[in-house]
Amino acid sequence: MGPYLSAARSGARRALANPAELGVRVLFYIVVLVVLVALWGAAAEANGGEVAAYSFIALAWYLMVAEASVIGTKPRLIEQIGTDIGGGMVATEMLKPISVVSWRIASELGEAGARLLCAAVSGAVFITAVAGPPPHWGALGLALPSMLLAVTCIVVAQHLFGAISFWLGDAKSAWYLFQKLVFLTGGMLLPLQIFPPWLETLSWALPFWTMAYAPARLASGHLEPWILAGQLAWLAVLAVAAGIAFAAGERRLQVGGG
Amino acid sequence: MLAIETEGLSKSFVTGRGRARLEIDAVHELSLSVAAGERLAFIGPNGAGKSTSIKMLTGILYPSSGSARVLGYVPWDERRALGHHIGTLFGQRSQLWFELSPRQSFALLTAIYRIEKNAAARRIAELAELLEAADLFDQPVRSLSLGQRMRCELAASVLHEPRVLFLDEPTIGLDLIAKQRFRDMVTRLNEHKGTTLFLTSHDVSDIEQVAKRVVVVNHGRMIYDDKVSRMRRSILSTKLIEVRFESPPQALSLQGAHVLKVSGAGYKLVVDTEQRSIREVLDELLDNYRVADISVLDPPLEEVIERIYDVSPTQKDKWAPT
Repeated sequence: MGPYLSAARSGARRALANPAELGVRVLFYIVVLVVLVALWGAAAEANGGEVAAYSFIALAWYLMVAEASVIGTKPRLIEQIGTDIGGGMVATEMLKPISVVSWRIASELGEAGARLLCAAVSGAVFITAVAGPPPHWGALGLALPSMLLAVTCIVVAQHLFGAISFWLGDAKSAWYLFQKLVFLTGGMLLPLQIFPPWLETLSWALPFWTMAYAPARLASGHLEPWILAGQLAWLAVLAVAAGIAFAAGERRLQVGGG
Repeated sequence: MLAIETEGLSKSFVTGRGRARLEIDAVHELSLSVAAGERLAFIGPNGAGKSTSIKMLTGILYPSSGSARVLGYVPWDERRALGHHIGTLFGQRSQLWFELSPRQSFALLTAIYRIEKNAAARRIAELAELLEAADLFDQPVRSLSLGQRMRCELAASVLHEPRVLFLDEPTIGLDLIAKQRFRDMVTRLNEHKGTTLFLTSHDVSDIEQVAKRVVVVNHGRMIYDDKVSRMRRSILSTKLIEVRFESPPQALSLQGAHVLKVSGAGYKLVVDTEQRSIREVLDELLDNYRVADISVLDPPLEEVIERIYDVSPTQKDKWAPT
């Protein structure tokens, strides 16, 4: 087994080795869903059963998938990457015959994948119970790979943002910025179509819609396969950017010490 | 065959800007050859340039000038290729995954170094025996004591059978027994596998018991390079005499020696061998006093090293190895 696949497997094992942490995370996710579904249920009822062409069931499935994609990843990973860069951990990893950024991404993906699976299964059961079955099974079928792509985009982008620590010394500001951007322009709380036009345009221009909106839109019953292509394109851009940022950062460590 | 070869290896760092700009020579023209299988202690006070040198030799730091080859590789240009052949063990940085057991960490390292599965299993069994650590390999790393963890760290460092092992303060924080055990294991590895050892440590016993050759650096410059066994003699012209008299002497007066410590009938004397030979002092002692027991000792290595650290680089020629 190659080193990166091994790292992913080990990451998954790490996530599952701590069932208490996983349980709390899933519980928190369900609580968030309860609140959001109640809010959007009230909003839909007040608008004649739908909001921006999303029915209550569509909105419930939208929220379930959007939140699951984000809950699967580590919220403070960017900060941790910054600490590892500043504290010399990354320099130590550079001693091994691997690509440090690929190794880290693989390991995080393994962990995120395991958490995503648990969250998505629990969320699907909950939403089916409170709102009903998915509006379109075919679209839901596309939402599954889209969720994996969403989590991959998040983890890769987190490494891109975390790499700022090579220059700034820490990544707290980058973490804050990333979190707000995903929250606002990623469609975590509401579909992009509900945004004011300027914010919707801005959101489409940024990569964050691939991280929550993309799979959520599919799960809400919209059979739009181009979304997967859009995610793949952005993933390629983010991966190249993260690779370049880490290569430049590692070179900086090699020149300046770390 | 040479394992490590450097020529004029230098690294300087710039701090501050404008008028506060300062260029610091962390390592200055280090020229060093280490033969394959050698056990070298690379020592110096804090800030002497040891870690910077190790970082350059392992490829994670570019030099400002000079050249180096480790096992034929230029470390900073061929870092990943070199990574397959070197091992590193840092006393203050773990390479095991805390949430996994050492055996699970070894599985990851097996993948990283692309070791064939059966070969890895054989190697892990071999290391378990050599490091007497079989019972530790299946416990979570976080539950191991520091001494136990360091045994597992050592196993992780040499799993891929590196030809050069860099040890940076490997015994820091260990108790006396764990330190001794660790030194024995590292030495055994060198004897069994011919692994070249490149050790930095502030612990004199690490140097005495692991290394055969010592290189001292200070202010980024190499100021001493010789066998550990010759270090005391070439640096200090003093010997210690521990003598116990049958009864405490009324007065003890010996030319070329002075009393360091008195405890009942036991005396500790320091002899300056440049003033008077040790043999003359011993003869005078035995002829004029009723001696019950006597021994002659070299001064402690700490004292020798302290003396080396104190010297300015320009005085280094005085200690050139013979």
